[in-house]
Amino acid sequence: MQGGSSGIGYGLKYQARCISDVKADKDHTSFLTGTLSLKEENEVHLLRLSPGGSELLCEGLFSHPNEIWDLSSCPFDQRIFSTVFSTGDSFGAAIWQIPEPYGQSNSSTLECVASLDSHVGKINCVLWCPSGKSDKLISMDEQNLVLWSLDSSKKSAEVLSKESAGMRHSLSGGAWNPHDLNSVAATSESSIQFWDLRTMEKVNSIERAHVRNVDYNLKREHILVSADDESGIHIWDLRKAKVPVQELPGHTHWTWAVRCNPEYEELILSVGTDSAVNLWFASASSEKKTSESPVEASRLRVNPLLNSYTDYEDSVYGLAWSSREPWIFASLSYDGRVVIESVKPFLPRR
Amino acid sequence: MATEAAPMDEKAKRMRDLLSSFYAPDPSISTSGSSINASFDNINSTSFDADQYMDLMIKKSNLEVLLQRHVQMAAEIKNLDTDLQMLVYENYNKFISATDTIKRMKSNIFGMEGNMDQLLQKIMSVQSRSDGVNTSLFEKREHIEKLHRTRNLLRKVQFIYDLPARLQKCIKSETYGDAVRFYIGAMPILKVYGDTSFQDCRRASEEAIEIIIKNLQTKLFSDSESIQARAEAAVLLKQLDVPVDSLKDKLLEKLEQSLDGLQIKAKEASLLAEHNDSSNDAESSDQLPAKIHEDAVRGFSEAMRAYREIFPDSEERLFKLARALAAMHFENMELYIRKRVSAADFLRIFRIIWEDVVLMDEVLPEAELSDLSAEAAQVTVKQFVAKTFSHLQQDISDTILKFDINQKEAVEEEVLKVVLEASKKAGLQGITDIFQDFRQLLDENTGIFVKMKDLIIGWIQNGFQDFFRSLEAQFLVLSGKTSSSNDTEGGLVEGKSSEKIHAGLILVLAQLSVFIEQKVIPRVTEEIAASFSGGNSQAFENGPAFIPGELCRVFHAASEKLLQHYIDTRTQKISVLLRKRFKTPNWVKHKEPREVHMFVDMFLHELEEIGKEVKQVLPQGTFRKHKRTDSNGSNTTTSSRSNTLHNDKMTRSNSQRARSQLFETHLAKLFKQKVEIFTKVEFTQESVVTTTVKLCLKSLQEYVRLQTFNRSGFQQIQLDIQFLKAPLKETVEDEAAIDFLLDEVIVAASERCLDVIPLEPPILDKLIQAKLAKSKEHNNNNTVSS
Repeated sequence: MQGGSSGIGYGLKYQARCISDVKADKDHTSFLTGTLSLKEENEVHLLRLSPGGSELLCEGLFSHPNEIWDLSSCPFDQRIFSTVFSTGDSFGAAIWQIPEPYGQSNSSTLECVASLDSHVGKINCVLWCPSGKSDKLISMDEQNLVLWSLDSSKKSAEVLSKESAGMRHSLSGGAWNPHDLNSVAATSESSIQFWDLRTMEKVNSIERAHVRNVDYNLKREHILVSADDESGIHIWDLRKAKVPVQELPGHTHWTWAVRCNPEYEELILSVGTDSAVNLWFASASSEKKTSESPVEASRLRVNPLLNSYTDYEDSVYGLAWSSREPWIFASLSYDGRVVIESVKPFLPRR
Repeated sequence: MATEAAPMDEKAKRMRDLLSSFYAPDPSISTSGSSINASFDNINSTSFDADQYMDLMIKKSNLEVLLQRHVQMAAEIKNLDTDLQMLVYENYNKFISATDTIKRMKSNIFGMEGNMDQLLQKIMSVQSRSDGVNTSLFEKREHIEKLHRTRNLLRKVQFIYDLPARLQKCIKSETYGDAVRFYIGAMPILKVYGDTSFQDCRRASEEAIEIIIKNLQTKLFSDSESIQARAEAAVLLKQLDVPVDSLKDKLLEKLEQSLDGLQIKAKEASLLAEHNDSSNDAESSDQLPAKIHEDAVRGFSEAMRAYREIFPDSEERLFKLARALAAMHFENMELYIRKRVSAADFLRIFRIIWEDVVLMDEVLPEAELSDLSAEAAQVTVKQFVAKTFSHLQQDISDTILKFDINQKEAVEEEVLKVVLEASKKAGLQGITDIFQDFRQLLDENTGIFVKMKDLIIGWIQNGFQDFFRSLEAQFLVLSGKTSSSNDTEGGLVEGKSSEKIHAGLILVLAQLSVFIEQKVIPRVTEEIAASFSGGNSQAFENGPAFIPGELCRVFHAASEKLLQHYIDTRTQKISVLLRKRFKTPNWVKHKEPREVHMFVDMFLHELEEIGKEVKQVLPQGTFRKHKRTDSNGSNTTTSSRSNTLHNDKMTRSNSQRARSQLFETHLAKLFKQKVEIFTKVEFTQESVVTTTVKLCLKSLQEYVRLQTFNRSGFQQIQLDIQFLKAPLKETVEDEAAIDFLLDEVIVAASERCLDVIPLEPPILDKLIQAKLAKSKEHNNNNTVSS
């Protein structure tokens, strides 16, 4: 079953790595994506799914001064988003605002709200507080974790606290716990670390090398999904984090990113460098399953892979579920192709 | 005389007939005798019709005959007349004599009455006389009777006075029965007068009796006495009102103690039986321990039998004892089979135990010992079967792990091959042994085994199923694929974390899984079909316990999983290498390339190691060339492109090794096309190496994409890749994909480069040559030094 035919495609001009769901846009299913080109002029595209869901339209095209390594949309203001960018030999992060009214001109300049410029090393990502109202955000470079407070009206961002993770752990990314706003998971070379934002201290960690991406399950507390380079996808219960609750085989090559569906707790999407997007079904009773005898479990085990979308030319790095229509996701392959797919045929019966 | 006898008879008969007809006028009776030949010509018949007779006669006969008849008849008539006369005369005679007799009787009766009166008078006088004598003798008789009573009493007293002496005598002669009889006889008197007149006597006899009791008790306890004697002793004791229960308790306690003795013996016997087996030559000493045990048990059962006879009311206790013995036996058995035991040993001991049980059962059939022990035996046999399987599994894993320790030092020697062969052998040998053992179990004809046959077959089939399943699980654990997440098997691999598990071991396990799937399981299936089939239909309603198809699937999946795991661990190692390579330098400020970077050496070294391992374990792919086209053309795992036609064309041209012109022209298209990178791994040397290389190159590409290069950085990458090209192509079967991937790396690097100016080919060449020369020299040095 090749999922290629059902997808709606959209081509960016250049290579790209990141795509983000515009959560604050309640009326439309929109995505933001930014290009990654070293030499050309980089762009940020605001894409909107037409009401019928048959077309992906470009609602806005904005030039961005540098190549974009990370992009995430503000959860409370659809016009604001953050980027992490690189100038070739140095990194920066900034909050941008889409000029009003957008959509008229094809290429307008973005308004820089704030520059998150207290970093020195390679910045990995900017995380928005998942509550949807708070103006807090976190930026992360290889050594440091910085908590910011954003005042969009004053166009300024203020460092609330900053903590160094130490030279030895080079942080590579993270996720903000939607169930506990004081907790942030950060991936490092050898472990997944959990930080308490009140004390800015590391409270817990899961020893796991080369974790590339983590995501919290929005529906089920304590459940975290991680993607490794080599050994696929692991689902963790943070209350007993010694061993994963479940393992999924992941991709033929590296599993680059994982995302839990915001509505259907069992659905997990992963993208990988084998040019594929995999849709997994991690059953809710997974905890029980492990307690059963291995023979029993193997008998009951069904293929957790619901579908594999393989209509990509290059490694897929970008992935985002739509929060408005949770059966829709956007994926972005390195060659700049955005593909919107619907997982409706695979939704669990309710 | 003889001639006269017949007519005389005839005559007498007729006379009788006549007389009878005279005395009994009823004709039916008189004719009854002669009516047999009653017919017309029977003159004597009542229904005789003279006229009719005459007519018939006249009609039938001629004159002569008639005349004859006439003469005859006349003679007969004359005869009859004389007979009648005789009769009348005789009757008359009788009458006369009768009247004479009556006359005589009448005269005799007169005078009788007077005699009678005389007689009466005489009898009366006799009676009065006798009464007189009686009254006169009464007093004397009374006196005599009194004297007689006194004498009896005196005799009794004498008996009691004599009792002690008599008892002593009895003790001396050991006729305890008599003694007890005497004593009991004297008992009532002693009881009544014991405190007064017969005090001494009583004391003495009681003392004697005490001695008797003691003697009897010792007799009862002594094992040397015959059962009869002991039983008698017990009976006597009971008669003497000695508290037998306490005795019984004591005896039974003793029996229980002897049970303990038996237990130790059973243990020893089992140990010795094991010992025997190893020293099979010494047949004579062989039999000894078993014999000792048998004797002991026989003695025990004899005692049981005796006690049962002696104390019929103590059965319950004996039952308990017997059951305890059986239970103890089986307990010991369980302990015994916890160690490694061959089926022969197991059976030998089992037979001994079963004999014991049968013996006990004979003595105490009501104890339901056979049922009890049948159950226990089932449990034991089941455990034995399970144990055998677990031992086999242990064996196999031991063989695998035995070599693991030395492995790191001696990759050069073909350790992996040795391990593989050894474990294959261990597996096959183990299976063969196990079948032999089980066949022995089935061939055993001890009663219980015959009954359990079906069950055993079921257990064996089940056992195989479980065995293979757990073997697969263990393989996965050994390979570190399922890490210590399994609590049950966590202890097994606790010592070695997943990183420490040698990759070669995983490869061996993978190949071993293939071997089990293809060789061992079919073999087991055959064996089961041959000698262990059937019989389990009612025991296992849910189909046969052993499902080879499912197991094959399981192992097939396991082998693939393990192979994948091997590749994963290998690529992981290389991945770490690449990661370090790309994370450490500042690529934006890279200096001009002077030589090929050393990570290439390490990369190639790793590949070489993989090649070595693979060569030891996996078979070589047949038809190298053919395989290549195959793996390229038939791959649909990730292909989604519509223009496969193009792909085909390309691969065909590749397979013809005419990759130059056509390939170059399609190069541009190739970038947009998906070349099959991730193909299914096969169990061949080439396939594994190729897959590994592909994955590593893909990783390389991804690492490159994450960096930003300056010109020199790019050139360094270009140089490294260029150098890699030749050696990689040598080791790999899918050249097209490798080419593609190498080019992809360079493309990725150029995309991420701020200032793309490739190295000039001559410089590139020069640097590569330098590197080659250097590595050659290094190699030479190595060979010289070693």
